[in-house]
Amino acid sequence: MAQRITSPKDLKALQEKAKADIDLRSGQKDVRITVHMGTCGIAAGARDVLGALIDTLGAAGVKNVTITQTGCAGLCDQEPMLTLADKAGGSFRYGKLDKHKVAEIVREHVQRGQPVAEYLIKV
Amino acid sequence: MSVEAQVKCTCGEEASEEELLARLDGVLKEYRDKPGALIPVLQIAQGIFGYLPEVALKKIALGLNKSYSEVAGVVSFYSFFSTKPRGKHLVRVCLGTACYVRGGKRVLDTLKHKLKIDVGETTEDRQFTLEVARCFGACGLAPAIMIDEEVHHRVKPNKMDLVLSKYRNGDAPVAKKRRT
Amino acid sequence: MSNVRTHLLLCTGGGCIASGALEVGAALREQIERQGLQGEIQVIESGCLGPCAVGPVAAVYPDGVFYQGICPDDAAEIVEEHLLKGRVVERLVRKTPKGEAVPGLHEIDFFQKQVKIVLRNCGVIDPLRIEEYVARDGYQALSKALTEMKPDQVIAEVKKSGLRGRGGAGFLTGLKWEFTRKSPGDVKYILCNGDEGDPGAFMDRSVLEGDPHSVIEGMAIAAFAIGAKQGYAYIRAEYPLAVQRFEHALKQAREYGLLGKNIMNSGFDFDIEVRMGSGAFVCGEETALMTSIEGNRGEPRPRPPFPAVKGLWDKPSCLNNVETFANIAPIITKGADWFASFGSQKSKGTKVFALAGAVNNTGLVEVPVGMPLGEIIYDIGGGVPGGKKFKAVQLGGPSGGCIPKEHLNVPVDYESLTELGAIMGSGGMIVMDEDTCMVDVARFFLDFCQDESCGKCPPCRVGTKRMLEIVTRICEGQGEEGDIEKLITLGQIIKDTALCGLGQTAPNPVLSTIRYFRHEYEAHIRDKHCEAGVCPALVRAPCQSACPASVDVPGFVSLIAEKRYAEALALHRDRNPFASVCARVCFHTCEDKCRRGSLDEAVAIRGVKRFMAEQEVTVQLPDVRDSEENAKRKVAIVGAGPAGLSCGYFLARLGYKPKIFEAEPRPGGMLMQAIPAYRLPREELAREIRMIERLGVDIETNTRLGRDFTLKSLRDEGYEAVFVGIGAPIGTRLGIPGDDGEGVADALHFLREYNVRGSAPVGKKVVVVGGGNAAVDAARTALRLGAQTVTILYRRTRTEMPAYKEEVDEAEREGVRLAVLVAPVEIVKKNGKVAGMKCRNMVLGEFDRSGRRRPVGGQDGEFVVECDQVIAGIGQMLDPKQALDGVEVKLSKNGFIAVDAVTGQASQPWLFAGGDAVLGPSSVVHAIAQGEKAAVGIDKLLTGAEHAFWRKEKTVDAFFDPDADPVQYGRAKMQLIPVSKRKHNFQEVELPWSEPAARREAKRCLRCDFRAPADVEKE
Repeated sequence: MAQRITSPKDLKALQEKAKADIDLRSGQKDVRITVHMGTCGIAAGARDVLGALIDTLGAAGVKNVTITQTGCAGLCDQEPMLTLADKAGGSFRYGKLDKHKVAEIVREHVQRGQPVAEYLIKV
Repeated sequence: MSVEAQVKCTCGEEASEEELLARLDGVLKEYRDKPGALIPVLQIAQGIFGYLPEVALKKIALGLNKSYSEVAGVVSFYSFFSTKPRGKHLVRVCLGTACYVRGGKRVLDTLKHKLKIDVGETTEDRQFTLEVARCFGACGLAPAIMIDEEVHHRVKPNKMDLVLSKYRNGDAPVAKKRRT
Repeated sequence: MSNVRTHLLLCTGGGCIASGALEVGAALREQIERQGLQGEIQVIESGCLGPCAVGPVAAVYPDGVFYQGICPDDAAEIVEEHLLKGRVVERLVRKTPKGEAVPGLHEIDFFQKQVKIVLRNCGVIDPLRIEEYVARDGYQALSKALTEMKPDQVIAEVKKSGLRGRGGAGFLTGLKWEFTRKSPGDVKYILCNGDEGDPGAFMDRSVLEGDPHSVIEGMAIAAFAIGAKQGYAYIRAEYPLAVQRFEHALKQAREYGLLGKNIMNSGFDFDIEVRMGSGAFVCGEETALMTSIEGNRGEPRPRPPFPAVKGLWDKPSCLNNVETFANIAPIITKGADWFASFGSQKSKGTKVFALAGAVNNTGLVEVPVGMPLGEIIYDIGGGVPGGKKFKAVQLGGPSGGCIPKEHLNVPVDYESLTELGAIMGSGGMIVMDEDTCMVDVARFFLDFCQDESCGKCPPCRVGTKRMLEIVTRICEGQGEEGDIEKLITLGQIIKDTALCGLGQTAPNPVLSTIRYFRHEYEAHIRDKHCEAGVCPALVRAPCQSACPASVDVPGFVSLIAEKRYAEALALHRDRNPFASVCARVCFHTCEDKCRRGSLDEAVAIRGVKRFMAEQEVTVQLPDVRDSEENAKRKVAIVGAGPAGLSCGYFLARLGYKPKIFEAEPRPGGMLMQAIPAYRLPREELAREIRMIERLGVDIETNTRLGRDFTLKSLRDEGYEAVFVGIGAPIGTRLGIPGDDGEGVADALHFLREYNVRGSAPVGKKVVVVGGGNAAVDAARTALRLGAQTVTILYRRTRTEMPAYKEEVDEAEREGVRLAVLVAPVEIVKKNGKVAGMKCRNMVLGEFDRSGRRRPVGGQDGEFVVECDQVIAGIGQMLDPKQALDGVEVKLSKNGFIAVDAVTGQASQPWLFAGGDAVLGPSSVVHAIAQGEKAAVGIDKLLTGAEHAFWRKEKTVDAFFDPDADPVQYGRAKMQLIPVSKRKHNFQEVELPWSEPAARREAKRCLRCDFRAPADVEKE
C-alpha cells in the first residue's frame, strides 16, 4: 500500500524518489563513461569492468554519470578499457583495467574531478 | 471488481446455463442500486454468456426493475450487443475493388456454402462468424480474406476447406481482440 | 537506486501490439537473461511513440537510439550487439530517403517538427506506474490548484490559455467550465469523452493507454474548478487496453490519495468511474453520451437546455475530450502564457493528429496549431509513397471534409479549416493520392453515418439514406443529370434541420468533395468513368480505366503473350489508331495504375506495345460501317494533329468522309513539328496517317485557318460540323529584360523550324529555360545539332519537372546539364545579341495552388551563365480571337476553348474542339481521346443517335487460369542505343524487344479484366 499523499511536500518527496528511476531517459548528464566492449574487450574482461563500474557508482550514490558501451577502439592490447567524457568536453581513455582500478577512477576522477594519470593510455 | 475485469469473456469455460444465470444474479445484486446500471450489466452479461440470450435479458429487466421492452430497446441500439451467439473466429471477406474483380464474390459464395450461413451469421457449432469488409490493403494479392487478425492472400475457393479446418482444429491463433 | 544502466522503452500502443510488440518484449527479456544483463537493462512497456506504421518500435536510453520494425528474431542481435557491445543495429534504425541510417531519436525528421504537450509522457514513461508520472511533474498541477488557487483562478487561467475543446467543435474550454460553475446546483458532474469513433482517429486511445494519469489529473482539476465530486470517463468498449490501463491508474491514484475523500487535506472530494461505450458512434455526441451513461439508448437530446445547465441526470455537467483534459496540467503548472505561446492567433497550443492513408510516416503527430497542412504531410509525414500524386487530405472523419492540393498552405486551425469546408474534428488526417476516388470516399463516410444514425430525427435517418442512394447510384454508373444538385440541396436541408452534431455534419464529406472534385462526380455520371480506377462497376481493369483512350490493355497484352499480334493490334486500333506512335511517345498512365505494381513492378505496357507495333508489315484497316447517308454529310476538321486525325479516323469508321485542313506542309501536328525524330521516327507516323487517309479522310495541307479560310467560310461552304484541333501553337515569352535579343527563341518555334524545314540556327552555348517536355526536347535537339553545351534551367527541383522522367534521364546521359532551383532574371546582351543569362538561386518555400512548393529567391546572389542562345520552353498558348475569327465561343478560365467533356461540343452547337486547343499543352493520348469523343458527338449531332460500335466491350479469348500463381519474375528493362551512337544524330533511341522478351513481359499481366464465367453469367 502506497503512502497517502497529504501535502505538496509529500508529492515533492515522491517525485524526488521517482526521478531517479527515469533519470536514464532524461538525456545528457555531466559525465559519460563508455566501456569498450568489442570481442577483444570482452575477452579481456570488459564485462567485469562494466559490472564493477555499475556497482561502484551505485554504491557511491553517483547519479550524474551516463554509462554506454561501444566497440573496439583499435587498441586491443590495452583492453579492457573505457573512455570518460567530462562536462568540460575533456576525453580520457583508461586502459588495462580491473575492478580495483575502476573503483579508483570513480572515486578520484568522477567524484573529485582528478584524472588518475597512472591508468591513462599513453599514445 | 472493475467493469473491465468482469466484461472479460468467460464463455470459453464450460459452465451450465444455470451456473451462468447464478453468476448474473450476483452481478444484479451488486449493481441494483447504482445509477445507470443497465448498460454495465448488459456488458457483463454478454461477457458471461458470450451473447445476450433472451432468458438473461428477462432476468436483467426483472432485476433492475425495468420493462423488457426498455431493455430490448437498449440492446438493439448498441452494435456491441448481440442477441445471437457469435463464433470463435471472425471470417471477413474483402470486397474491395481488387478483390471484387478477382473473384472475392466467388470466395464469399463458397464460404457461405461451406459454412451454411449468410453474411452476419454464425455457424451452428459457434466456430465462425461471416462478414464482408472493404480493402485490407492487399490488392496485389487479391482476393484476400481475413480470419481474426490474419490476412490470407490469393485465396482460392477450392482451398477454402483447408484454411477453415486449420482454425477449426485450433492450430491457428485465436483472436486477440475483436472489433464489432 | 538500482544498478540499471539502460532502459529500453518498448512501445505497447495499440498499433505496435497489433504488429507483435508483446512477442518482441518477451524475446528481448529472454535474450537479456541469456546474456545475464537482467540487472543492468530494463525493458519498459510504454505508450505510443507515434510512428505506428513501422511498429513495433522501441527507444533505448540513455543512448537515445530509436529502433523500428522489430521482430522477435531481432531480439538476440539487439541485446548482443547494442545492449552488450554498444553497437547500434543499423539494420533496424530509421533511414533517410537516400538510405542513410538515422539512429538518434531526436534526429529523426518525423519527431523534429513536433511539439509534445499532450503526448509529453507517451512513450517516455511506463503507464502502469504512477511514480513515473509523478517523476515528470505529475499531479503537481492538481497540488497547486488545490493548495494555492481558488476555482475561479483555475478557470481564469484555462480561459487565458485559449485552450479550445479538442473533440471537434473547438469551444473555449475555460468558458465551458465557467458556465457549469455558475449553473446553480449542488451536484455537478465532470465527464470525459473517450468514445473516439471517427474512423482513422486514435489519439484518445493513445493518451488513455500511454499516459492515463494526465487525463485523471485534468479531470480532477476540472472537477475542482466547476465544483463536481464525481466524474465519469466514457471509453469505448473497442479499446479494452485503454479501459484496463485507465482503471489501473485510477486504483493507483486512489491508493496515493490523489482521488477520493479530502484530497491532499484540501477538503476536496473527487472520484472517477469508468463507463464503457457499446459501439454506437452517436454516443460521441455530448447529449447522447449522457443519455447512454444514464443507461438508455444513446439518442441525443435537443439543446438548449445545454449540459452546463441540465446534463447528466439533469444536473449541471461539463464534458471534455480526452485530449483536452491532457492539456490541463501543463497549463496550470507552466502557466497560460506559456501555453498560448504555441499556436496561432485564435487557436492556441498543439493538436494531435492521426496521420494515415497514402503517406510515408503514418502515426500520431503533435504539432502547434496553425502549422501549414503541407508541412505536416511532407516534413513530418514524409510525403506520398510510391511516387504517386497527392490528391487531398480528409480531416475530421465522417463529420469533416477534404482539402485539395490547392490549399496545402492552409494553416491548420479551427477557422481556416472551416472556411475550406473541412473541420479540425478530433484529429483524423487521412492523406489520399491519385488512386482514391472522391465519390467513393463520400460514399464510404455516408454509409458510415447512415449506419450510425440513431434514427431519432428524420432529416438524419431518411435524408442521409436518400443521399447514400444517390451517391451509390453514381458509383455504380447509374448516375443521372441533376444528381449533384439533388445532393447539394438534400445536404443543405440535413445540415439545417438535423437534431444533433452527427446529423448536421453528415453531409459534409459529400458537400466538400463536390466542392473540390465536382469533375469526378460529373465523369462518373456522364462519362461512366472513374478516374482513380476504384468504382468496380465502372472499372474493367485499372489500366484500361486509366487510359484516356480506353484501350483494352489486358486484351492486347494477353494476345501478344499468345503470339496473336494482328489481333492485338486490331484491338488496340479499335480505340486508338496511333498504336505505333503511342508505343513510342505515350506517357502510359496505364502503367501507373497497373495492379502488378503493388506486387513488384508494373507491367511494361508501352514496351510490349512497341514490340507489337514492330510486328506489323502491312497496315490493316479497322472495321468500318459504310453509310451512303453519312458520306454525303460535310464535316470539316481544322488541324491534322493527333486530335484532328483521330476525330477523322473515328468519323470515317462511321461512314463519313471528313476533310482535314492543315496549315503546315505535312500532317501530324505536334507529332511531326515538335516531337523529335529520335523519339518518333517519321516513317512510323506517316504509316499511321496513311492508314487514316485510306479510310477516306481527305487531308489538305498548306491551308491555314485565318489566311486561306475561316470558320465562317467553312459554314458558308456547307460544312454542317467543324472540329477544331489547332493545338496551343504560341510559345510563352520569358517576360524578363533582354528577351527581345538576337538568339532568343521559344522551344516550340525552334523545334518546328528544325522538324518542318530541316534546319534551325543553334548556338554554341545554349540555355534552355523550363522543365516540360518541350524544353527537354529542345535541349536534346540542340545538342544533336552541334551545340557544345546545353543547360536546362528550372526553378523548382527535379521531382517537380513536368517532363517525362525517362526523357530527363536520357537528356542528362547525353550531356545536357540540368540546373535546378535556378530562375532566369535577365538576358545579358552584347551588341543586341545574347551573351549570357543572369540567374538566381531559388529555394522551395510555401505550397502553391498546384500543391507544389513555390520557389522563392534564396539568400545567394545572382550569377551569370554564359551563352549565345536562349530557348524558352515555359508554356504554350492559343490566341482564340485570331483562331476563331469572329465566331463567338465560350472560353475556359485559362483562355482555351471550353467544350462539353463528353461530346467535345463548344458553345456553338456546330463547333467541336479537342486536344491542346481545349486542354492547353497536354499529352498525345488525351488529344486522341478527345478526337474520338468529338467524332461520336458530331455523329450524334448529325444523326441524333450514338453509333460508336467500338465502345462495346470485347471479350478476348486468350487463355487465363485464375487459379495459377502469377509468374514470379520482375519487369523487363527497355533497351537503348549507346549514348555515343545517338548523341549527334536523330536515330531512334529506344530499341524494341525480341519476341521471347516481349512475350515473357506480357505474361506478367495479372489479367484484372478476367471475370470468372459464373460471375459473367450473373451479370
